[in-house]
Amino acid sequence: MASTAPQHRHELETIDLHINVGPQHPATHGVFRMVLTVNGELVEDCDPVIGYMHRGNEKLPENCDYRQIIGYHDRTDYLAQFNTEWTYCLAVEKLMGLEVPERAEYIRVILGELNRVASHLMWAGAFGTDVGFFGTPFMYAFREREVIQDLFEAVTGERMMYNYFRPGGVAWDVPDDFEEHCRYVIDHVRRGIDDLDALMTDNEVFLARCRGLSPVTPEQAINWGLSGPMLRACGVKHDLRRAEPYSIYDRFDFEIPVGTQGDVYDRYLVRMEEMRQSLRIVEQALKQMPKNGPIMAEGLKRVLRPPSGEVYARTESPRGEYGVYIVSRGADKPWRHKVRGASFCNLSALREMVIGNYVADAIIILGSIDIVLCEVDR
Amino acid sequence: MSEGTATDQALPPVLERLREALPDVPFEYVPTPLDPAVTVPREHLLRLMTALKEDERLAFDYLRCLSGVDYLDELEVVYHLRSFRHGHTIAVKVRAPADDPRIPSVAHLWKAADWHERETWEMFGIVFEGHPDLRPLLTEEGLGYYPLRKSHPLAEIEDWQENLLEQVERLAAAAAPPGAPEVVDEKAQKVALAQKKAEVIKKAREEARAKGLPPEEERKYVQEAIKRFEEEMAREAAAPAAPAAARPAAGDERAQKVALAQKKAEVIKKAREEARAKGLSGEDERRYVQEAVKRFEEEMAGAAAAPAAQPQRPAGEAKAPLSAADKAARIALAQKKAEVIKKAREEARAKGLSGEEERKYVQEALRRLEQEGEGG
Repeated sequence: MASTAPQHRHELETIDLHINVGPQHPATHGVFRMVLTVNGELVEDCDPVIGYMHRGNEKLPENCDYRQIIGYHDRTDYLAQFNTEWTYCLAVEKLMGLEVPERAEYIRVILGELNRVASHLMWAGAFGTDVGFFGTPFMYAFREREVIQDLFEAVTGERMMYNYFRPGGVAWDVPDDFEEHCRYVIDHVRRGIDDLDALMTDNEVFLARCRGLSPVTPEQAINWGLSGPMLRACGVKHDLRRAEPYSIYDRFDFEIPVGTQGDVYDRYLVRMEEMRQSLRIVEQALKQMPKNGPIMAEGLKRVLRPPSGEVYARTESPRGEYGVYIVSRGADKPWRHKVRGASFCNLSALREMVIGNYVADAIIILGSIDIVLCEVDR
Repeated sequence: MSEGTATDQALPPVLERLREALPDVPFEYVPTPLDPAVTVPREHLLRLMTALKEDERLAFDYLRCLSGVDYLDELEVVYHLRSFRHGHTIAVKVRAPADDPRIPSVAHLWKAADWHERETWEMFGIVFEGHPDLRPLLTEEGLGYYPLRKSHPLAEIEDWQENLLEQVERLAAAAAPPGAPEVVDEKAQKVALAQKKAEVIKKAREEARAKGLPPEEERKYVQEAIKRFEEEMAREAAAPAAPAAARPAAGDERAQKVALAQKKAEVIKKAREEARAKGLSGEDERRYVQEAVKRFEEEMAGAAAAPAAQPQRPAGEAKAPLSAADKAARIALAQKKAEVIKKAREEARAKGLSGEEERKYVQEALRRLEQEGEGG
């Protein structure tokens, strides 16, 4: 008796239909297009089309001085600018064998972790809109993000393109009230995260739409090249800050949140917990940070000329493994400058994740990847 | 340290394991700051990569990055791998000659290689044999060149763009016959010229490629083509330019229109002031102004109908010679006015007048100034 309703499905004959989503579409988080082949409401195939934001971000730096390149990294992942700058600076430092002063390392950790929080907040807000909370989480998330943004502005003088990290340290010292300002931010943002948590995590609609959606197994995730929260949501406890510690991450005590199902809901939970862990790291860093001291490695020439060699530097950016591969031939410009975008690799698995789901869910799956198209297209 | 000794010396543990697993594959150890790197000949790549992934002792299950590098005569592909089971990393480098850029695909081993290989193919022209779907990823289809190759230079185009405007101006100056009025649409001309030039460059580059010239000679070839083109342009410019005679009339017409609009604006302003002086309300004021405009238009229509036979040299020409001096006078007046307003406002504030009274005070000061002006 209960199954009278679905029976009519078999009587309807459907044909495959190609649906074009994007490139200008609010659900694609930028200029991204996907061609969906649908059978009724089910997605049978998906062809992601990227490249609308391609600006030659690998070619241009090959014609730039090593310090001029920093700005190009701000413009790849424009939601995690400090993390991208950091990766690039790390690559140059490894090539040249530079030692970064203590205080500069702490400044980098604090700004990098707060940038992770800002990026995840931005994601949570936008993702809420994808799922169907129109506006409220977005406003909640942006209220907190704004507080972090103010701190970044006070330190660097910029709201978006900071250009603050340099090979060997940071451009200038932080303002006198930096520590105080950071504590205010931590306090504020921690409460904001709790607000978001209360609003979204246990929400019935949210659970119904996200739980169990597009589960990914650890083997698949690794083979597809996923990284960051996408990988951890599948239960792989892998975080470059722990697995291949760079900078001074071996000095901090923090947890690596992992999921169990690898579904969209786990990706959300992992990101929410990561924000709290990042704030923990910032608190520890503020305690340990030397009150004064140099912020730049000594004896650097005006024009950097790393010796011949190559390096693939990578860091844990909010979206996953952000890598920079530099080949130097001893000149003042890199011979080759390759950017491994975290969301580029994560997005390449979109087809596998979307097939077999409903069209409306495809949007949520895309949202859960947390793409930044400037970093995908470079 | 030469390569021979490097391979004999203590290898990193990963490479020891690799040697154990594949004793017959020759590889060369290249130390890099973060990962041990090995170089392998192209024909052994697939065996090596399969062993790296499948062998229990190595178990490289994660392809984190794949990059192409252009070494002019050779193209290189670098694979950065990581093993989650053992926590070790490796970089594998393989080269192919530039005239035969084929490298076996590893997309069947690591799904992650799919997009990386597509991108490397479109950017460097490295053909990954066995890739399931080798289409361009970031650029459009049929681009015709490989953007990240060194033979596709970037800086020269920039130089060319910088010099372009200068050259165009020089050509335009040479093109204009002495004494002729400069009424030609300069911008359109410049654009057309630049387009022509770009075509010439494109064509020359294609020709050079078809001839199979190396990058250095290709550049020379293109430069020669540009030179020829510029000379041709200069010659064309030297020949007397016939058109552009019909233009001045159009210019005249425009000046007339502008003069008319200015006159109309004056009429409106005057009418509004009169209406305000009479103390008319907003609605009445508007009507008053509309009537004035109507009268003005009728007048103009009458003027145009009456002296139609006369040569057309009305307001526009009569006013033109005045304009420079007129302009200066107007600016001076406006500045004076602004000063008076500022002063009056300050005085009003000092007296503690309310907003309404302040405005009146300022208006009075302005009226005084106008009377003075008329008197002087």
